[in-house]
Amino acid sequence: MKRKGLGFYLRIYGKILAQDLKSKMSYRADFIISTIGMIFTNIAGFISFWILFQNFPSVGGWSYYEMLFLYGFSLVSLTPVQCFFDNNWSLRMYVYSGDFIKYCFRPINLFFYYQSEVFDIKGLGQLAFGIGTLAYSWSRLGLDFTPLMLLKMIIFLLTASLIMIALQNAAAATCFWIQNSFYVLDLVTRFKDYAKYPITIFSPVFRFIFTFVMPVAFIAYYPSFVILRPDEVPLLSWLSPLIGVLFFWLSYKIWMKGAMSYSGTGS
Amino acid sequence: MSNIIEIKNVTKEFKVLNRREGLRGSLKDLFSRDYRIVRAVDNISMSIRQGEIIGYLGPNGAGKSTTIKMMTGILEPTSGEILVGGNVPYKDRTKNAQEIGVVFGQRSQLWWALPLIESFKILKDIYGVSDEDYNSMIALYKSLVDIEPLLHKPVRQMSLGQRTLSDILAAFLHNPKIVFLDEPTIGLDVSMKSRIRTLIHELNQVKNTTVILTTHDMGDVDALCQRIVIIDKGKMLYDNDMEHLKGFFGSYRTLKIRMNGDLKQLAGTIQRELPDFSVSADDEWISILVDEERSKVMEVLNQLQRSYEIRDMQLEEISTEEVIKKIYEEGVQ
Repeated sequence: MKRKGLGFYLRIYGKILAQDLKSKMSYRADFIISTIGMIFTNIAGFISFWILFQNFPSVGGWSYYEMLFLYGFSLVSLTPVQCFFDNNWSLRMYVYSGDFIKYCFRPINLFFYYQSEVFDIKGLGQLAFGIGTLAYSWSRLGLDFTPLMLLKMIIFLLTASLIMIALQNAAAATCFWIQNSFYVLDLVTRFKDYAKYPITIFSPVFRFIFTFVMPVAFIAYYPSFVILRPDEVPLLSWLSPLIGVLFFWLSYKIWMKGAMSYSGTGS
Repeated sequence: MSNIIEIKNVTKEFKVLNRREGLRGSLKDLFSRDYRIVRAVDNISMSIRQGEIIGYLGPNGAGKSTTIKMMTGILEPTSGEILVGGNVPYKDRTKNAQEIGVVFGQRSQLWWALPLIESFKILKDIYGVSDEDYNSMIALYKSLVDIEPLLHKPVRQMSLGQRTLSDILAAFLHNPKIVFLDEPTIGLDVSMKSRIRTLIHELNQVKNTTVILTTHDMGDVDALCQRIVIIDKGKMLYDNDMEHLKGFFGSYRTLKIRMNGDLKQLAGTIQRELPDFSVSADDEWISILVDEERSKVMEVLNQLQRSYEIRDMQLEEISTEEVIKKIYEEGVQ
């Protein structure tokens, strides 16, 4: 049997996605309502951010537009986890009910097959909002717009995405070992809200946690140094792409270990 | 003919936590864990040839699912050897998956939101089925069942029967060497059951696909299986053809009588009068399984006629249902 490469998986994903979108569009009311909901969630998030800055001119030495940049950065980098890995939220239900076994009989990568089933279109609204915020703060900060900057931007956005995906994968995978993993997943999701703040505002204990235990600081804080403050980039910023890949790989291994040892419930 | 499945002395043990009762017990369980070993499958061996339809039977909890899970690579045997189409399922799970098709009762493996035809197209890509093979398979399906109305319907909107039918078609789509069907007719109406049986039979005939069928419905067994394997408490009780099994019970006849009144209640009374034989009732008939080595059917009938008014009667060979029931209860001597 020939080995199934990236092209093979992209083609399958494309087909599932196209079909999935088609069927989602047919539920117009559902589509419109969830899009509006997403827009309001983002606006509400932005308002609380704005109110904060009405009261404090800067946070931990970061100006309003720098913070706005961080905010936009975290929105964009959270898009892939929202769009492509949303099925992680259902994992514990599938595992608990025994329905997860239906994913175990296909001759393709189990992780891919499971995640490909759900594409959450709501993430796209978040992406648009994030890009808008980024572009606005970018121009206000008077940053250069060169191909090198753009490349850095893309690399560090990908890094941040990988870390968030990794956190969610690992949290979701706990359901292979513990009964109710909802709290783990929920905890991780709550922590990601801290991604949009510079970690210097937290106490040293939380700084340590956000860097090494739940590395949410890598989602926006460390990467944005490269763009915002090129003169004072900490070593951890340069390392973050590596850390992103490493974390993603680890979380994939954990997920697969759980999935491959899954044997279903009695029938 | 070559063997498509070889199972040699396979045993599967599970470590099960002895749970203590009550809240205090649960707290104790947190700290000191007390395990026992449960043998779900105990030293089973069998060889299955390409193209056979095997009825894999046993009461609930006998170890059927565990065996199937080992054959599909989900579980690793504790000891013994399994070869499925030349692969060791647990080690070559992906390779094995390419050669098999699986339908697990009521759990649909199709994409819930997608119309059936789109699911088929994605499966075609996943299994790398050529256009030619795919088209001829769809043509075959069209000749066997009326799938036109199903093709453009999302799986979510299908009835249980349509979904089961779709799942079976999806399992055969890549022309696998073996298809595992776990209770394919559970919860279906009589006409759907019969359509599904016919479909499985036809596909087995045309494609020479090996079918491993677990079921509690003896109608499935009568319609499809030449050979049956029975396990109970993890041990193999029987592996041979159906006729041979019925031969064990050659001296048994089923006497069916029809009477006025509540048949279930009457059956209970008759059972007390005839403690040697098993008496049961359905909506129409009271069935008495008579072993002619003990007493002749006519004697039983005479005895009954003295105290009951019998409106109608039938005499039948022992049914598959009764054979299996006797084996579950008494084993094979």
